[in-house]
Parts: sequence; C-alpha cells; structure tokens
Amino acid sequence: MFGSFLRASQVKSPWLLHFDCGSCNGCDIETLACLTPVYDVERFGVINVGNPRHADVLVVTGTVNPRNAAVLKNLYDQMPTPKLVIAVGACGCSGGVFREAPNVLGGIDKVIPVDVYVPGCPAKPEAIMDAVVTGLGKLKAILEASK
Amino acid sequence: MNLNTFLLALAGLVLAPLLGGLAAGVDRVVTARLQSRLGPPLLQPFFDVGKLMSKAIAPASHWQGLFVRWALAASLASDVLLAAGGDVLMCFFVQAASASFVALGAFCGSSPYSKLGAQRELFQLLAYEPVFLVAILCMAKAAGGFDAFSIMAAQGPLLLRLPLVVPGLVFVVLVKLRKSPFDIAASHHMHQEVVRGVYTDYAGRDFALLELAHWADVTVVLWICSFLWATGPLQMLATGLAFLFAALIIDNISARLTWRTMLKRTAPLTLILATANLVWLYLE
Ligand code: SF4
Repeated sequence: MFGSFLRASQVKSPWLLHFDCGSCNGCDIETLACLTPVYDVERFGVINVGNPRHADVLVVTGTVNPRNAAVLKNLYDQMPTPKLVIAVGACGCSGGVFREAPNVLGGIDKVIPVDVYVPGCPAKPEAIMDAVVTGLGKLKAILEASK
Repeated sequence: MNLNTFLLALAGLVLAPLLGGLAAGVDRVVTARLQSRLGPPLLQPFFDVGKLMSKAIAPASHWQGLFVRWALAASLASDVLLAAGGDVLMCFFVQAASASFVALGAFCGSSPYSKLGAQRELFQLLAYEPVFLVAILCMAKAAGGFDAFSIMAAQGPLLLRLPLVVPGLVFVVLVKLRKSPFDIAASHHMHQEVVRGVYTDYAGRDFALLELAHWADVTVVLWICSFLWATGPLQMLATGLAFLFAALIIDNISARLTWRTMLKRTAPLTLILATANLVWLYLE
C-alpha cells in the first residue's frame, strides 16, 4: 500500500524547473502565465521551483547555443531521477526562427533527451499545461510497467 | 510509566506529524483562495513528501542525512513529551535542538544559499527562543505547574491572565511556520534561490524527512499556543486554528523583513511585553 502511495504521489506532485535557454521571452511569459490565477497550475500540485535538486520536470524554452548547452546539461544532471524534460515553443523543439543563425545548435534535444515537445511561437499556456499532463502520463506508464 | 501514558505518547508520535501535514494542506488551500486561485487538494503536502521519498539523488553531504534524522527524532520527541503530559520546558528545549540540527545540516551543504540560510536559521533561534521561553514560563506560573497536564487543567482560560503573551506567540508561530514577514531562513511558499535558504541542499529522501520534522514542529508550537484556552479539546483546537489562520493572513498581507528588523525590533518588543506579563503574574 505504501509503495502504491509513493507511485501515485510521483504523478501528483510535479515540481517544475523553468530554464530560459536563449528564448525571446515570449515562451517564458506564457510559461509563467500558467501560475497566475487564470490558469492556476497549482491545482495539479505543480510548483515552480528554482532549484534543480528539488525539480521533477525541466521546462526549457528557447534554442541551444554552444554557451548555454553546458548549463542546460548541468541542470539536467543535477535533477533527481526519475525526471521529465519538456521542450517549449518552436525554438525549444527545433530552433524555430533562429535555427539558421550561426551560433544556434538547434532544439534542446541536441543536448538532453526530451519527453514532450510543445509547438507554437509562443506556445499557449494551455498547451504547456497539457504537455505536463502528457509527460506525467508517460511517467505513470513507466512506473506501472516497472512495478 | 503506565499503559495510558504509553498510549498517549504513541498517539502523539503518529498523529502529530499527520496534523502538521494537514495544517500545511490547509495553509496551501487558504493561501490560494486568498490569491483568488483554486489551489491544490488538501492532501497535496502528503503527495509532495511521498514523491520526495521516492526520488533518487546523491546527498550534498553525508552529514546532512545524519543531521536531518536527528532533527526528525528531536521534533517527534517533543511531540511525544507533550502528548504524554511531560514537562513543557523540556519539550521546548528538545524542539530547539531540532532547529539547530536543521541549521547544522544546512551548514554541511556546498551551496552558499544553504550556508546563508543556516546562519539566518541561527538568527531566528536567537530571536524567537527567548520570547517562547518567557511565554511558557508565564503559562506555567499562571497554571501552577510545568507539566502539560497541569497547564491543560488550569482553572479558566489562561488567555485572560496572559494577554501580553499573545503578540510573542504570534511572532513565534510566524517564524516557526516560515511565514512572511519572518521567513528569513527559508520561505514556506517561495522557491527561488536565497529565499529557499536552509532547504537548498536538502533533496530527495532527506528533504522529505525534513518536511516531516517541520510538520512535527508546527504541531508542537500550535499545541503550546492552544494552552491559552485549554478549557476543553475543542477549545484548544479552535485556539490552535486561530493562531494558524492569523499566521496565514499575516503571511499574505506582508512582505519579508530583514533579519535585522526581526532581531532588533520585533524580538525585543515581544520579549518586553511577555516579560511584563510574567512580572505582573508574580506581583499579583
Ligand atoms: S518559439 Fe517564438 S515565442 Fe517562443 S522563444 Fe522562440 S521565438 Fe520566442
């Protein structure tokens, strides 16, 4: 019973770490909008944390370049397992409008494994919340399979 | 020790952290409603702790794991002492030890935010412990005994004889619950960098144990506050809840103060008020 409570709580308490990996701020504003009373993601137990050691879900906006790739990798490595990664916006998915720029490596999946991609320029808050729920669904399936 | 005392102690050991967790749930729902949000479910803090329990992460330092377990043991011991009708002063010292273990654990971390938080935790101890001590002395003097049962069996509500202790106790509750304006060492709701202070380097299972210790602490502090109107169990519950809601309201309408204001203004002021009440009790 205790084990099933622990498994259930992994899906019910996603703490997000938001990393702006060179976004134009459009997607950041939409991500933060999720926390406002209009969308109120805390309904689903979501908390926006500022510390990778406390985070379960890494939400990354913007493109990767050679400079911030190391930071992104470092944040990912510091998070406890199991962890989810969500790429937000066209930039996070593929590099978006910046993909031809000489310093841009592309989407964040060039550096770390991504679980859910959220399209849009900027991505809508509803889509970001849906991505968190989809990611938790994936996590739940993995936990069930490993039972 | 007879069977009754043993059962009471056991109930304290099991129920106190659960009540603290429920208080944390009420806190999150009420805070969300005050900010016109719906907020998480009432049992969300339990899911959070369950989640943290099942996370795998290397500790920032091995000492930290040891200190957090000592802190949990001390917090639970203070609950057991109160439940078994033990000495309230003893309970007070044991819960102070728990707070020091939390600070020591944070000193072991490698992050500067963690070390800064630990220093601020010590400042907090310096600020609220004297006030809390004098408040307990007042209760014992008014009730005629230091053990929890004789304070709870006092004639009539103690509040009528201890009005000047109330600001001090509100101050203690704000600090212990990590609420604004005295969330100096670490904030309960905010999660960014230095605001998270002592919690920064605790992660995974250690963080879950720290949260359990915090819940046990919250129960002890609210329980001691409820002695002010201990004419029956329901009255005590209502008094504890009144202190909890006062803390939540103050948290939501105030900004954070600096540790200097806490140590130089609030602590002396509340201490003087509580001491005046103690002197008055002796002169009576
Ligand atoms: S996807 Fe659009 S809005 Fe989002 S960071 Fe890129 S350019 Fe900005």
